Amino acid sequence: MTKKRNNLPRFFYHGARLILGVIFIYASYDKILHPKAFAEVVYNYQILPDGLINVTAIFLPWLEILMGVFLIVGFWMPGTIIWCNILLVVYIGALCFNLARGLDVNCGCFSTTKGSSISIETILWDAAFLVLSVYLFFVVFGLKFNEGSK
Amino acid sequence: MFIQFQEKTSKTLGQQFLQSVWQCGAMFALAVFLGFSINQFRDSRLPLFEDGSMEARLMSPSGERLDITLVEAKKLFLQEAVIIIDARPNDDYEKGHIRDARSLPWHEVDQRFMEVTKDISVDTPIITYCDGETCELSHHLANFLLDLGFTNVRILVNGWTKWQNADLPIKKEDAD
Repeated sequence: MTKKRNNLPRFFYHGARLILGVIFIYASYDKILHPKAFAEVVYNYQILPDGLINVTAIFLPWLEILMGVFLIVGFWMPGTIIWCNILLVVYIGALCFNLARGLDVNCGCFSTTKGSSISIETILWDAAFLVLSVYLFFVVFGLKFNEGSK
Repeated sequence: MFIQFQEKTSKTLGQQFLQSVWQCGAMFALAVFLGFSINQFRDSRLPLFEDGSMEARLMSPSGERLDITLVEAKKLFLQEAVIIIDARPNDDYEKGHIRDARSLPWHEVDQRFMEVTKDISVDTPIITYCDGETCELSHHLANFLLDLGFTNVRILVNGWTKWQNADLPIKKEDAD
C-alpha cells in the first residue's frame, strides 16, 4: 500500500530557491554591465570608506550572480544560503540607516541607472526576500521536508 | 506545515556548518577572482582605488572645477546670461524647478538632448542642477554636455534645495 506524498513543502522549497535565484541574477546583471555607475551608488550610501567603494563595486555583483546561479541549480546550498541571509541583512541595514538619517539616494537595488530612491517600500521588498532566505536557511540546515513515510 | 524538525542522519549540524564556511569562502574567492579578472579586460576598467572626495568628483576630465557657488549662479541668472538645466526626473521638474530652467532628465538624455540644446551655442554658460548633496545627475549631465562640445558648463551642487532656501525665483506645480 502506498501513502500519498505531500509535495507542498517540496514545491515551496524549490519555489523559494528559484524566486531568490532569479532575483539575485536580475539584481546583478546591470551592476556587472555598469560598474562605474554601481560604484557611484555605493559611494552615495556613504557607509563604506572611499578605499573600499570600487573594490566592492567590482566583486559584489559577481557574488550576487554566483548566488543566483547556485540557488537555481541547487549547488553549494549551505554556503549560498548563508551569503543570501548575510547580504539581505546588510542591504536592509544600509537602507534603514540611510532612510533614518534622511539621505535621499538611489537605491541601486536592481538598476544602477533608474532613479528609484530608497523608501519603506524598498525595505519591505528586501524584507520579503529575507523571509524567503530565512525559510531556505531553516530547510537547508537541519530541517527536513515532511515527506511522509519513506 | 512546510518543514519538519528532524535529526540529520547523514551530517551533523557542526559538519554542515564547516561545509557552509568553506563554501562561503570559496564563493567569495570566486566572486573576487571573476570580478577583478573581468574588470582588468574591460574597456571602461574601474580603478581599484579612486579619489572619492567631493573635490575630485567635481573635476572635469580636463581637470577644471565644475561647481559654481549660489552667489555666482544667482548673478548669472539675474543677468539672464545663463541657461539652467534641471537634470532630475521629469516628475520632480514638474513639481517645481528653478524659474526658466529647462528639463533634461539624465535618464532620458539620449532621447532629449537634441531638442533641449538645439538653440544653445557652445560657449553659452550652462548650469546643471539636481537635488541633494550626493546627487550625481547634474554631474553626469555636465560631463555629457562637455563631451558634446559645450565649453562653459558648471554644476550647482544641491541646486534645487539651495535655490529654494535662498528664496530665488522658482516655478511650482501648484502655482500654475
